[in-house]
Amino acid sequence: MEKIVTRHFGQENSHHLDNYRQDNGYEAARKALTQMTPAQVIDEVKKSNLRGLGGAGFPTGTKWSFIPQANPKPKYLVINGDEGEPGTFKDKYIFEQDPHALLEGIIITCYAIGSHKAYIYIRGEYIKSLERVQAAVDEAYKANFLGKGIMGTGFDIDVVVHPGAGAYICGEETALLESLEGKKGFPRLKPPFPAVIGLFGCPTVINNVETIACVPPIINKGAEWYAKLGCEKNGGNRLFCVSGHVNKPGVYELPNGTTLREIIYDHAGGIPNGRKLKAVIPGGISAPILTPDQLDVKMDFDSLKAIGSMAGSGGIIVMDDTTDMVWAAMVAARFFAHESCGQCSPCREGSGWVYRNVKKLYHGQAREHDLKNLPGIVNNIGGNTICAFGDAVSMSVGSYVSKFRSEFEAKIQSTVILSEAKDLKVS
Amino acid sequence: MPLLHCVQEKEGLISPETEKDLAEYLSVPVVHVHEVVSFYHLFHQKKIGQCHFSVCQTTACALRGAEDVIEYIQERLKIKPGEVTPDGKFSFGIVECLGACELAPMMQCNKEYKGFLDKKKIDELISLNSHPERSEGS
Amino acid sequence: MPNLTIDGKQIEVPAGTTIIQAADKLGIPIPRYCYHPALPVSGNCRICMVEVEKQPKLQIACYTPVADGMVVKTNSPKVLEVRKTVLEFLLVNHPVDCPVCDQAGECKLQDYYMEHGQYDSRLSDVKVKKEKKAFSIGPTVMLDQERCILCTRCVRYADTITKTHEFGVFSRGDHSQLDVYPGKQLDNNYSGNVVDICPVGALTDTDFRFKCRVWYLAQTKSVCPGCSMGCNITVEWDKSRPHQHKKARVMRLKPRHNPEVNDYWICDKGRYNYHFIDENRIQHPQLNNDLISWEQAIDTVVQVLKPLKDLKRTNRIGVLASAQLTNEDLFVIRKFFKETLNGAHLDFKVSEKPGDSDDFLMKADKNPNTAGAAQIIQVSTDAAQIVQKARAGEIDLLYVFGHDLAALYGKEALYQISKNVKLFVFQGSNVNGSCSYAHLNLPSSVYAEKAGTFTNCQQKVQRIWPAFLPMAEAKADWEILSLISAKLGAPINYKDAQEIFKDIAATISPFSEMTYDKISDKGMVLKNLSS
Repeated sequence: MEKIVTRHFGQENSHHLDNYRQDNGYEAARKALTQMTPAQVIDEVKKSNLRGLGGAGFPTGTKWSFIPQANPKPKYLVINGDEGEPGTFKDKYIFEQDPHALLEGIIITCYAIGSHKAYIYIRGEYIKSLERVQAAVDEAYKANFLGKGIMGTGFDIDVVVHPGAGAYICGEETALLESLEGKKGFPRLKPPFPAVIGLFGCPTVINNVETIACVPPIINKGAEWYAKLGCEKNGGNRLFCVSGHVNKPGVYELPNGTTLREIIYDHAGGIPNGRKLKAVIPGGISAPILTPDQLDVKMDFDSLKAIGSMAGSGGIIVMDDTTDMVWAAMVAARFFAHESCGQCSPCREGSGWVYRNVKKLYHGQAREHDLKNLPGIVNNIGGNTICAFGDAVSMSVGSYVSKFRSEFEAKIQSTVILSEAKDLKVS
Repeated sequence: MPLLHCVQEKEGLISPETEKDLAEYLSVPVVHVHEVVSFYHLFHQKKIGQCHFSVCQTTACALRGAEDVIEYIQERLKIKPGEVTPDGKFSFGIVECLGACELAPMMQCNKEYKGFLDKKKIDELISLNSHPERSEGS
Repeated sequence: MPNLTIDGKQIEVPAGTTIIQAADKLGIPIPRYCYHPALPVSGNCRICMVEVEKQPKLQIACYTPVADGMVVKTNSPKVLEVRKTVLEFLLVNHPVDCPVCDQAGECKLQDYYMEHGQYDSRLSDVKVKKEKKAFSIGPTVMLDQERCILCTRCVRYADTITKTHEFGVFSRGDHSQLDVYPGKQLDNNYSGNVVDICPVGALTDTDFRFKCRVWYLAQTKSVCPGCSMGCNITVEWDKSRPHQHKKARVMRLKPRHNPEVNDYWICDKGRYNYHFIDENRIQHPQLNNDLISWEQAIDTVVQVLKPLKDLKRTNRIGVLASAQLTNEDLFVIRKFFKETLNGAHLDFKVSEKPGDSDDFLMKADKNPNTAGAAQIIQVSTDAAQIVQKARAGEIDLLYVFGHDLAALYGKEALYQISKNVKLFVFQGSNVNGSCSYAHLNLPSSVYAEKAGTFTNCQQKVQRIWPAFLPMAEAKADWEILSLISAKLGAPINYKDAQEIFKDIAATISPFSEMTYDKISDKGMVLKNLSS
């Protein structure tokens, strides 16, 4: 299998400009700027079936085409490097080991959408990533790959690296814009969408790190090549992140459409200590959990949607048969409760309520009506909120309850209910 | 936000004076600066230890023993999450996913990610950072 | 202009109108917490969600613009279910403080809860505790963070209306807390308005705290007499329990919406300036140190007036009218002192220092009816001269309407007036420095006790309604003059204030097309004003 995004990983000093240049570095950018029109670049990316690898899987070329070219306002490109989705750690590797690939992708994308300024938003905890990317940016400016009239073309481009500060919600694209503008990460009401009114009120494209890193190879080798690598409607490879109860946790670049079973057993070394698989999260914590009978699903956006889950961020978390699923639901619910931004009432109050409810269940303090009410409460959050965080809470936590109902019920049985003890006299 | 990070790097925390100064410098009402400081978990309004552990408790790390890590750190340092040791050397907090699930169970020790934690590793990190002049939280 | 249907009712509205605005125009109620017509849209409470045909998800009515041909349902089963849902979530951490919360009876949580039948609680859990409960955040407002539903109306108000930026929402998730900036207080000229806009009992008025349950309150429309802005208000008074509050009737004032005058707001000075309605009133006619009857009081005045009228020595009458009086009061003053007693010295502008003003609602002129007085009273001699004459013994009858002359001219001057004027009459509602020097004190009604009109700085004539009867023996100013004129043998009789106004409209051309009905509760601007 041909490595695309991970082709430089593991090489010494892969993050330095010299090494990047040795492997056709910035040639795709030169090709786009000198031999193609912006419209042609967008077309090429459309044909490649590249889809957003941050989680939503939206066709990238289509997203770029939403930018209204006639609009006189400046256009912005924002790279979403907030990588907060539990189970996901791929963008960190791109930042640390191949930042120039990202920068080259940025140049091509900016050219395509008519932007001259890009912001790279990197989560605040990724100190090494921030340092490496800033160093790469500095190198690129020095070598005239960024700045005024880059590479002898007339194209100007500036890139700014911006740190996050510890809020998962800033991975939501409009919350990210708010954060860039110096405010709390409160997702915006939509419409208008960022393509029309985005950063500083101007048309903006927000893309994931990995998505943009795929762009230079697409320009170099062509959309057809890329589209063939994956599966229908989901071109190219993807960086799958495997963690949890596996022997070889890590990042694995594999074609879109590889089965989950293959990823876990053939690449990540299967489950340690001879244990069996009990459940697996296929695409970051927001994705509904899957059971062993669903392991043969193809890992692409459409196939996972068809079985009621999602490809999401590609974060695969494996749980073996020692895992208490009520406990796992509690951990997920706790995550959502801590990361809710608190702007809208269903999510703010609901995420905390769901967590406390599941925690009670786990500790054997819940009654039957608590479990009876839980699915209803969980479902009421999604669909009623400003952003998809609410939907994630509903889908994710809801999937534990619906697929492992018996474990939840068992927790109820273990609760001692004094009032039902028949020989107690009530004074 | 970059300004807040800058100040915190120098001073170790964001004080009300900083908020007022930033508000003036940026022509932004100070109440909205304070909102930002209180919203993002990386900004501290109180002093933290010279060595600060941020222990991840989300699913992948939880599956690989994060609860034991937390318990052991509490035992060794004799403080609860959010507290600072009396000598000011250590503090720790529990956080959500740090994007390093492949190193689970893991934590961030000042600026660096430390993974595959077990009692031995934790002991090493504590002893290494008990003498900050020897290391930079390495 | 787009044409849409809401619950089967059609309406055409300008492009850009949101569903909730269109529904309000149609009188179709859609519940709302965070939405307020004077504030930027926030869309965070989610209770205004409605069903829009052809859209798979419910949409928030406060933010969604109408489209031509749109069909909206505000009470479909889906919508009603979602409202219950949102209410349930809001009540998860809300302390059910109703028995001790001032908002009870006018609380949107209570109201929608009753309307939408969220009766059975599914919560069997502890509620999140917040830091500040029953905490004073300034001289006029108290904050209870636990009751707060984080609708952010107060934050948006402080950011966009007063632009004083006191409020923020700190932290995140269900630990979010509304607060003022640490160490800062809510202390601007318009702080009381946040209590009005808070839909629950999170921000409450310190002045009103624990004073009276709102279901005992009656509401009467009126206009604030504090300055020439004439902000529209509602006087809220206890109708049911006169034995409480030591006979005070008015419990609070609330601003009344008038988009052309004060919008939804009122300044704090105006809001809290109601105690004088019930405190420190002149209650009975008093001649020197003796309480007398009205009959005796009228006689006392007529005894001095008659010879002055008969002997054509009306130039020995000095009248200090007031721009605090209604148009109706002033018209009768005009008829009596200008026509009947032609030759009397008359002014209404008694020198007062201009007060605080700002570029929002507060005006420097602290009189509610200067514009009306200017139209109705033709000044013959200015006030300072009248006072001078009185001091010098050139005035036999000095008739002062409400002014505190001691504060304006000093005790020495007032002592002289008291000595040198035959009859010094003070007609006013509240006791002030003039009273102990006046020979005759006559009790008059306050604005909340009478019908009438004021004319504000925009030349807008606005009506006031009486909330209750005058206290003790007080009468409306024009009524007192009617009685005097009758005893004098030259009666000026009117049935009521409306009849006076008809006469004003017939006599003074800028008022010419006005009637009480036309003025209604929104006011009418004087027409064709020449300089």
